[in-house]
Amino acid sequence: MPSPLLVPMSQNTPYIVEMRDISKVYPNGVRANDHVTFAVRPREIHALVGENGAGKSTLMKILYGMERPSSGQIFVRGKPVSIHSPHEAIALGIGMVHQNFMLVPSFTIAENVVLGAEPVRRRLLDYKAAVAITRQLSAQYGLEVDPEAPVEAVPVGMRQRVEILKALYRGADVLILDEPTAVLTPQETHELFTAIRQLVQSGKTVIFISHKLREVKEISDRVSVMRNARLVDTVDTAAVTEEQLARMMVGREVFLHVDKAPLRRGEPVLQVRSLEYVTEAGVETLKGVSFNVHEGEILGVAGVEGNGQTELVEVIAGLRPATAGQVLLCGQDITNASPRQVRQAGVAHIPEDRLTNGAALSMSIAENLIVDRYERPPFTRGGLLQPTAIKENAEWLIEQFAIRAPDGDVPVGSLSGGNMQKVVLARELSAQPKLLIAAQPTRGVDIGASEFIYEQLVRARDNGVAVLLVSADLSEVLSLADRILVMKDGQITAVFDNTPSLTEEEIGYYMLGVKRMSAEAIAARA
Amino acid sequence: MEALNVIFSVAFLAAVLRVSTPLILPALGGLISELGGVINIALEGIMLVAACTGVLVSVWTQSAWLGALAGVAMGTFVALVLAFFHLNLKADLILAAIALNLLASGGTIFVVYLVTGDKSSTSRLVSGQMPFLSDFIPGVRALGEIGRLLDQNVLTYAAFVLTAVVALFLYRTRTGMHLRAVGENPEAARSVGINVRRMQYLALVLSGVLAALGGVYLSMGYVKFFARDMTGGRGFIALAAIYLGARKPLGVLIAALVFGAAEALSIQLGNLRVPTQLVQIIPYFATLAALVIYAVVQRQRALARQRAFVQSRAAR
Amino acid sequence: MESTIPLSFDRIAARKAVQAERRRSMLIDLGVTLATIIAALLMGFIVIALLGKDPFLAYEALLTGPITRLGRTGRWLELATNLILVGLGVSIAFRARQFSLGGQGQMVAGAIVAALIAIYVPLPPLLGVLIPIAAAMVTGFLLGLLPGVMKAYLRANEIVSTLMLNAIVLRLYDYVLTFHLKPEGSATTRSLPVQPTAQLPTFYELFGVDLGRFNLGVILVVLGAIGVWLLLERTPFGFAIRAIGANEQFARYGGIDTRRVIMLAFAAGGAVSALAGVHLLLGVHRRLFLDFVGNIGWDGITVALLARNNPLLVPLSGLFYAYLLVGGDRVEQQAQVGSELVQVIQAVIILLITAQVLGDWIRARRARTQAEG
Repeated sequence: MPSPLLVPMSQNTPYIVEMRDISKVYPNGVRANDHVTFAVRPREIHALVGENGAGKSTLMKILYGMERPSSGQIFVRGKPVSIHSPHEAIALGIGMVHQNFMLVPSFTIAENVVLGAEPVRRRLLDYKAAVAITRQLSAQYGLEVDPEAPVEAVPVGMRQRVEILKALYRGADVLILDEPTAVLTPQETHELFTAIRQLVQSGKTVIFISHKLREVKEISDRVSVMRNARLVDTVDTAAVTEEQLARMMVGREVFLHVDKAPLRRGEPVLQVRSLEYVTEAGVETLKGVSFNVHEGEILGVAGVEGNGQTELVEVIAGLRPATAGQVLLCGQDITNASPRQVRQAGVAHIPEDRLTNGAALSMSIAENLIVDRYERPPFTRGGLLQPTAIKENAEWLIEQFAIRAPDGDVPVGSLSGGNMQKVVLARELSAQPKLLIAAQPTRGVDIGASEFIYEQLVRARDNGVAVLLVSADLSEVLSLADRILVMKDGQITAVFDNTPSLTEEEIGYYMLGVKRMSAEAIAARA
Repeated sequence: MEALNVIFSVAFLAAVLRVSTPLILPALGGLISELGGVINIALEGIMLVAACTGVLVSVWTQSAWLGALAGVAMGTFVALVLAFFHLNLKADLILAAIALNLLASGGTIFVVYLVTGDKSSTSRLVSGQMPFLSDFIPGVRALGEIGRLLDQNVLTYAAFVLTAVVALFLYRTRTGMHLRAVGENPEAARSVGINVRRMQYLALVLSGVLAALGGVYLSMGYVKFFARDMTGGRGFIALAAIYLGARKPLGVLIAALVFGAAEALSIQLGNLRVPTQLVQIIPYFATLAALVIYAVVQRQRALARQRAFVQSRAAR
Repeated sequence: MESTIPLSFDRIAARKAVQAERRRSMLIDLGVTLATIIAALLMGFIVIALLGKDPFLAYEALLTGPITRLGRTGRWLELATNLILVGLGVSIAFRARQFSLGGQGQMVAGAIVAALIAIYVPLPPLLGVLIPIAAAMVTGFLLGLLPGVMKAYLRANEIVSTLMLNAIVLRLYDYVLTFHLKPEGSATTRSLPVQPTAQLPTFYELFGVDLGRFNLGVILVVLGAIGVWLLLERTPFGFAIRAIGANEQFARYGGIDTRRVIMLAFAAGGAVSALAGVHLLLGVHRRLFLDFVGNIGWDGITVALLARNNPLLVPLSGLFYAYLLVGGDRVEQQAQVGSELVQVIQAVIILLITAQVLGDWIRARRARTQAEG
C-alpha cells in the first residue's frame, strides 16, 4: 500500500478526498492536529478511530468546513480546495452526519430532509414532492423512514437515517458519519450497516468515525488510527486484528506518577444496585449497573465517553431520577433523593462540566465556595448570612488549595480553568464527604493544576474517603485508581484490581468492546 | 334569557368582528415572531405608533390610504428598531420591547399634543377612515341585519384574509418554513445554510407590519381619531391569544375571536346589569388555563415515553 | 485576569490591582449610565429646539421644577415612593432571572384587600394602618405565588401568566369598586374614604410643611429598601435567589431547591409590590376610584431596571425617574412642550441601557489597549 505522501498530484489521483499535512492549533495553544495526512479512496468505507481528544473530530470538522486548518492542504477529486463553510463542503459533495442530530423536532421527516433546499411548485412549497423525494431516496439507499411522521415521534435510529438522507439529498458523494452507532441499539446498528453497504454499492464513499473496534472490523475497508493529534497509520482492515488496533490507539506512556499510601480498604460507602436510567427521550443509558465503593479506595470508572458514565454520576448525585434500582450511602437509601439530601448524606461531587454545573461565573469565589452549605452555621446564624464567616472560609480555602486569586470577592469567571477547578475542588473536599465523585476532574486543566488535583484526590482517599473517579483519560485512571471498572453501552463490562501488571491495552480491549468479562466475574469483583 | 337573545343577535356578531379585528392582526404578527423564536412584546407600542401616524398623515394628506400606509411604515420601523437592538446590539428582547412600549406611549401623546394642543385625542381633527364594504357596494346597507353584519371595515376583511395568508406563508413557502426552523432549532437551521439572523429580522418586521395594521384599524376604522393609549392592552391580549390558540394561525384567529366576543359581550351586557368586568375576565382565565394544560400535557408525554420504554423492555 | 497577577504572587499588590480594576469597572458602568442619560437629555433638547420652542426655558423647568416649590417637591417624593416600592418588588424576581411583570396586578390587589379593611373596619390608631398593610402584603404574596408555581413547577411562561393576572385583577378591581364599594346613589365611581385611623398622615398634617400628599408612607420605602437588600444579600433565601439568577443548573447542583426558591421569589416580590398599592390607598388618595394606579406598575419595572435590580440603588433611580416625571409636568406649563417628552427621554435611556454592547465594548477596547501596551 503506497504512503499517501507519495501519491502524485493529478486528476488521476486514486483518492476522492485527500487531506495533506494538516495541522490545527487552537488559539489557546492546544494542538488538535499535528501534520496529519489522511486520504480516502472512492467507494470505500474508511474508518477513523482514536480516543477522545485524539483529533478525529477536528480533522473531520476541517474537512466539513466548520474549522480552518492552521496549515496543510485539502484535495477533493484531485483538485486543491479550501473549504470555508459547511455550505461549500456540501457543494463539493461532502456531507456530514453529526453525533447530535441537527433536526427540527416538529417538522416531518420529509420536511427535515429537504430543509434549506426545498422543492417548489408555483412558488409554494411542494410538500408532495418532498415526500416523494424522501421516499425515493429512502428506497434507493435502503434507509427506511416514514416521510410524513414528525421527527419528534420517531426513534433515534430513524432520526439518524433522516440525517443521512439529508446529506444524500444535497448530493453528497462522501458521507462523514460521526460515531453513528453511539446512540443505536444493536438491531439499529445492524440496519445502519446494511444501509452503509448499499450506499457504497451505489457509488458513495463513507468515512466512519468510531471507537467500537468490532464495528470497525465489521464494516470498514480501511482504517486510519489517530493518537495524540497525529495519524498513526492507515491500514487495510482485513490485515489487522482488533487487538492490534486497540494497541495503536491507546499505546502511550503514563506521564504522571502519584505517590499513594498502601490501600486501607474499609466498609462499603456507596452501594449501587441494578441501577437503570432511561432519558426523557426514551433512550436507555444505564442498563442495570451494580458496584460498591469502599472507604479509603479510589474506584476508577474507565470508558469511552457517552457509555452511561455521565448519567451514572448524575443519578447518584440526585440530579436525574433513576428509572429503576437503588443507591445506598452507608446503608441509607438515597435513591432519587434531592441534590441537597444527597449532599447532606455525605456525597460531594466534582461535576463533569464546571461551567454549567460546577460554578456560577458571575458570583464571587466566596459565594461559589458555600453554595452547598450557605444556609447552615457558621455561614447563616439566626436567619442571616454571616459575611465575616463567608469571607474567612474563602480566605482559608484559597490558601489551602493554592487558588490563584487576590481575595474571595473576585468573580469565578475571571479565573483560569485550573483555578476554577480548584474552587470546585475546595468546596467539595471541604464538605468533608464520605463519598467524593470526581467526574473528568482534570479536563481542560493545565499540568500543574492536574497534579495538585491528583494529590488532593489521593489525600482524601488516604483519609478514608470513598472516591468514585470517572474519567475518559485512561492514564489518569491507571495512575489514581485502586480498582478500575469499565463501562460500555450502559453496562459494566470489566472490573480490575489496579496491579502494576494491568496495562492500558488490556483495559482498552474492554472499553472498546473487544473483550467482556462474564457477569459472574463482574459481580464477584464489583 | 335576555342575555342569550343578545348573544345570538346579528348585531352582536357584527360587534364581535369589529372588536376582534385589532386583536387578530397583532396576534398574527405575534405568532410569526413567536414561531421565529423572537417573541415581540412591543406589539402594543407598534399599534399605538401606527394608529397615531395613520391619523396624522391622513389629516395632512387628506387620504386615508396614504395615512394607513404611513402608519404601517412607522409601525414596521419600530419593529425594525427592536430587531436592531436585539439582534445587533445584543439588548434583551423583552426589556428593549418594554422600553419601546414606553417610548410609543409617550411619543404618540407628545406628538398629538404638539399638533392639536390637546393631549387626550385628535378628535378635533378631521381624519381619514378606511372604507367599509358599503363604500364599495352601497347595496349592502339595504340587506337589513345581514347587511349590517357584512358592512365591515376593509381591515376586518383583511384580518381574515391575512390569517389565511399567514398560514400559507408559514406552512407553504420556503421562507416560512425556514422561519419556523430557526425558531425551533437555530443550530439545525444554520447547518443547512439558513441565515438565522436574517430570518429573525424578518419575523420581527412581519410582526411589526401586522401589529401596525391592527393599530391603523383602531384609529381609522373602529373609530375616526387617535386617543392616548387607545390600544388599551390589546397588544398584550394578542400575545395571550397566541398561546391560547396553540401557536397555530387558525387557533390564534379563534382565540382572538373569543377575546373579542368577551369584549363585545361586556359592552352589550352593560345595559343588562351583568357585571361586564366579570365577562371580560373569562378569556384571560382561559389563557391561564391553556398555559397550565399545555405544560401538564408536555410533562405527561415525557413521562409516558419513559414508561413505555420500561414496559416494552419488560415485555421482551 | 491571570496575567494581571504577577507570578511571584505578591498578594497585597495583586489585591490592590484587583480592587482598582473593580472600581474602574464600576466607573465604566456608572459612566455609561450617565452618558446615556445625558445623550437622551441632549436629544430632547434638540427636539425642543427644532420645534421652535425655547429649550433653555424647558430644561430649566425640567431640572428645577420639582424643587422650586414645596408642593411640587411633595409630588415628586410621593410619586417616587410608589415607584420605588414597585421597583423593589420587581427586582426580587428579576434577580432570580424571572421576568415577572405582575407588579401592577399585585399593587391593585393589595389595594383592594387593604381597602376592604381600611374603609369598613374601625381599628385603633397604628393597628388601623398596620393591619391593612399586612393584608395587602399577604394578598400580593399570594398573587405572586400563582405565576411562581406555574413557572417553577410547570415551566409556564411567566410573562404571559403575569400579564393575564394583571388583566384579571384590574377587571376584578373595577367590578368590586363599581358593584360593591361604590355607595348607593353616588354619582362618581369611587369608594368611601378610609377610616381616619387608617390614614398615613401627610407631612402637612404632621408638621405643617406643605409637601402635598407626601406622607409617612415614605417609611415603607426606607424599610422596604433595607428589607429587600437584607433579604437578597444577607439571608440564605436571597443567596439562593442570586445563585439561581447567576446559574440555575449550578444552584440545583449545589443542593438548592430551585423550584421552591423561584416560586417564593415571585411571591416575595408580590408582597413588596403590594406596598405601593397600600401607600396609594392610605397615604395618597385615601379612597379607591377608577384607574387608581395609572402606569405605576410599568414605571416600577423601569425603575428596577435602571437600578440594575440593586435594592440600594432602586430608591435613587426611583427618585430620578419621579423627578423627571414632575419636571416634565413643569415643562409643559412653562414651555408649552408636552410632558410626555420626558417619558420619551426615559424610554430612550432604558433602550440604550439594555444595549449591553456599549459597556462591553468599552471594556473590550480597554482590555485590548492594555494588552497592546
